[in-house]
Amino acid sequence: MKKITRFRSFVLSAAFTFGALAFTACDDDSKGPVGEYARDGVLISNEGAMTKSNASVSFYNHGSRSVENESFKKVNAPLVLGDVLQHLSVHGDRAFLVMNNSGKVTVADANTLKAQAEITGMHAPRYFVALNNEKGYVTEWLGYDPTTYIYGTGRVAVVDLKTYTVTKTIPVGVQPEQLVISGGKLFVANSGGNTVSVINTATDAVETSILVNDGPNSLALDRNNVLWVSSSGLKSYNSDYSVDEENSKPGTLAKINTGSNAVISTLAFTQKAPSPSKLTLNGNRDKLYFLFNNRVYVQDVNASALPAAPLIDRGAYVPYGFYGLGVEPSTGMVYAGKAPNFSSNGWVVRYNNQSGAPVDSFQVGVAPNGFVFR
Amino acid sequence: MAKSSYRLLLCLAALSGIAPAALAQQDTAQYQLRTVEVFGKPAEVFASGSRVSILDSSFVQMHASGSLVDALQARTPLFLKTNGPSGISTPTFRGTSATHTAVLWNGLNIDMPALGLSDFSLLPLTSLGSISVQHGAAGATYGSGAIGGAVSLSSPVYDKPGFGATVQQEIGSFGRYFSSAGGHYVGQKVSVGMSGYRLSAANDFPYKDYGSFGAPTRLQEEAQVAQHGFTQDVTWQLSEKSRLALHGWYTYANREVPPALGAANVSTRQVDKNLRLMADFGHDSNWGETTVKAAWFSDYLRYTDYSNNSLTDINTYQLQAEQTYTYARRWSLRGGVNLQHFVADVQGYGGTVTEDRASAFLLFRYDPTRRLDLSLNVRQAFVKGYNPTPAPTLGANWLFLQQNNHRLYLKGNVSGSYRVPTLNERFWQPGGNPDIKPEQGWNYESGLCHTFTHGSWHIETEASAYRLLLDNWVQWMPLESGYWSPRNLQKVRAQGLELSTRASKKMDELSVAATAAYTYTTSEQVEAYEGPEELNLQLAHVPLHKAQLGADAAFRAWSFLGNLTYNGLRYTNNSNTSNLPAYTLLSLALSRRIDIGQYQIIASLRSDNATNANYYVLENMPMPPRSFAASLRFVIP
Repeated sequence: MKKITRFRSFVLSAAFTFGALAFTACDDDSKGPVGEYARDGVLISNEGAMTKSNASVSFYNHGSRSVENESFKKVNAPLVLGDVLQHLSVHGDRAFLVMNNSGKVTVADANTLKAQAEITGMHAPRYFVALNNEKGYVTEWLGYDPTTYIYGTGRVAVVDLKTYTVTKTIPVGVQPEQLVISGGKLFVANSGGNTVSVINTATDAVETSILVNDGPNSLALDRNNVLWVSSSGLKSYNSDYSVDEENSKPGTLAKINTGSNAVISTLAFTQKAPSPSKLTLNGNRDKLYFLFNNRVYVQDVNASALPAAPLIDRGAYVPYGFYGLGVEPSTGMVYAGKAPNFSSNGWVVRYNNQSGAPVDSFQVGVAPNGFVFR
Repeated sequence: MAKSSYRLLLCLAALSGIAPAALAQQDTAQYQLRTVEVFGKPAEVFASGSRVSILDSSFVQMHASGSLVDALQARTPLFLKTNGPSGISTPTFRGTSATHTAVLWNGLNIDMPALGLSDFSLLPLTSLGSISVQHGAAGATYGSGAIGGAVSLSSPVYDKPGFGATVQQEIGSFGRYFSSAGGHYVGQKVSVGMSGYRLSAANDFPYKDYGSFGAPTRLQEEAQVAQHGFTQDVTWQLSEKSRLALHGWYTYANREVPPALGAANVSTRQVDKNLRLMADFGHDSNWGETTVKAAWFSDYLRYTDYSNNSLTDINTYQLQAEQTYTYARRWSLRGGVNLQHFVADVQGYGGTVTEDRASAFLLFRYDPTRRLDLSLNVRQAFVKGYNPTPAPTLGANWLFLQQNNHRLYLKGNVSGSYRVPTLNERFWQPGGNPDIKPEQGWNYESGLCHTFTHGSWHIETEASAYRLLLDNWVQWMPLESGYWSPRNLQKVRAQGLELSTRASKKMDELSVAATAAYTYTTSEQVEAYEGPEELNLQLAHVPLHKAQLGADAAFRAWSFLGNLTYNGLRYTNNSNTSNLPAYTLLSLALSRRIDIGQYQIIASLRSDNATNANYYVLENMPMPPRSFAASLRFVIP
């Protein structure tokens, strides 16, 4: 999710600067309107149900205040997007769709969604980040042992964005998730362990790894270039598979100095069973949003303590009530992707960022997990 | 006794619309007669006012190398959800889900206890004698799961005295080889029959891979199938009044499960081994007919891929005892009990789990006049901790018009049904819900049946309208813990129409028949207790329209069979926002009998998907294009 806000500048420039490039670049592509998804809207990635290959992209249009579902299909049918759209990321005029259970990254024109290429040969890819127009990185979980269900070490694939080939793989920690680039370094959260790997983007070699609380599951880079890491903490479980409040370790938010790789401070939650996740920044990157105990919290990036009360409290538990979380840079509006299950369509609910009250909602594809604001 | 049973059956056949098959196919009618003589009244006798159809034997014989999927898809309103070419196929009947069609073998439920459903592709036609389909709920007669309907399978019956045998070899497109052999001996006191088959199919057909950029044409490489199995049936007339039958049925399947277009190939394999043994004892006395069935079913399922290795091994012990008393042609009363004991060795349960279930039933059929018959049935199931509500049935057939060659019947039926939760729903860890309630259903239907007979012509038409309500529908949903758990989510209402007609004419050297059928099915959530509220939208994978046209003809030694099946648009989600287009499949078969002395060779050619339709039954699962098969069958009659 954090990539989305990180890319807001790209998004804006894509709309205006690269828009022109896109028009010329796609001259030979006579099919479909050019630039339909270029501006004034939100691209929504709908994960789909695993093994069903029914991932989809929706587009919410601010102008008409309406949503279009199956946008990728509309442009590319009969081409099938694939199985489990884990992450949708836009860089320049290209959209990168990480298809987790298709083992590939589909590349499409960010303004028209016309498929352009695919980067294949990956094993359970999770998240994508582009360094520049030539090079990108993809985290891969690889498989787990079918008898013990334990994951081994994952890796980061280095992708040539000209030829769309994997040029190198870098072993990192277990179950690498989100990645963030800052100051010539690539930070990778190893969610199955307790480290953040630091990779030198010039050499594509692991420089060091930073020790954090167990289960680092999301990253966000604030306006001070401080890297925030949300960690689940080591959980222990009751016999009914719920998390044991008594014996679990609490989750934390850690702040990392991206220059020195040092942990500046760690903020621990008092409640032990729930885990913080989905770190998301606003447009100015000075407000940090996250999910905890099925509630959305927000805090100033300079705050030295965790917020006491949630911004959005939906009260009773709703399964996968915040499957995706996004904050619109221009308005500050909070977008939540709701996945009631994986056989029905999901919903996007929009919330006021001051009151936390729901504003409106619309139906999207199966399991909406992310937003790219155009 | 036997005679009256036969008349009852014929009467029932005429009344309930099984006649199209039974009368048009002489051998089927006779065959039924023998069944009645040997095994007593079939459960259908107590199904007044409901719709029961018997699959015609000519179709079954022509498709003997196939599975129940082919037969039901082409000849009944059931829609089979087929997961690609290698098969795993589950039914939706009258708008319900796969767990809502009970499958019985010689009167006992054979659904996989872990899942509460049957994979119809594992039930080969070659191992079966007769197949009858109960439309709509019949919980009283068939027990748990008979909500949308029930499919009742019987072992083959060998009725012609002496020795007989059949050997068949078939070769088909995409690396398909099918062999079968069977033999039987019918003596004074004992009849013995056995058969075996072997199927291997590479299913390496070409398809466009729309899951890859550029949509390259590929060969399906993940749909190989190897199946084999055998049946053994012994019937022993112990005395004039008692007989004992032993039935054995084994099926083995080792299948590759292809990934959906665009999904990673994780090398999914499924191995199924099902062994079913049954002893069936019958005795006639002044108290009527006593039947005791004892059975042992062993169901083994192993599902593996790169990240799964799941093993299910369940032993089911069943005992069913029933007593039927028939008073002349006026009434018939059957009472009985069914006991089930499950021993489940399933990885997901974290150890061996056992469960006992029982049910008691009382079935009553009353014919106050020659033109009216009534059914009043009830069954109560007992399961520790969650007894389902009783399932009653009240039904009537009324011959209200009889003029010249026309007969018009009015039918009506109200039926309760239930489904006891499956073992997975109760015991799976994590997520299994010990507090889950049984599903409970009601089925209301009414119908008209018209028969016309004139000389060698016979026309039979039936129209049924039904409304089916199913409460506490169980579905798995995600919990706060991140695990999935079955919950009683919703109430569903299915409504629809079933129309069918068959016309046949039999002459000296030529016999022709044509069938047409249409099914309209709406199935909608009307109440949501938990989970998403998607009221009044068609449930996923239930086609609104299904239509069939069939023609068969026999001229001297030649036989022809053509079948056209149309399946309407199906939504792929319960939000009705994405769908799969309608498709039409044509199958053609031609065969010729060559007599060599007293032996016969039957040579046949068949084409499935003869129009080469490009279609999907399930999302992103390419299905085979046009295929051909040639077969030779050697028969010692």
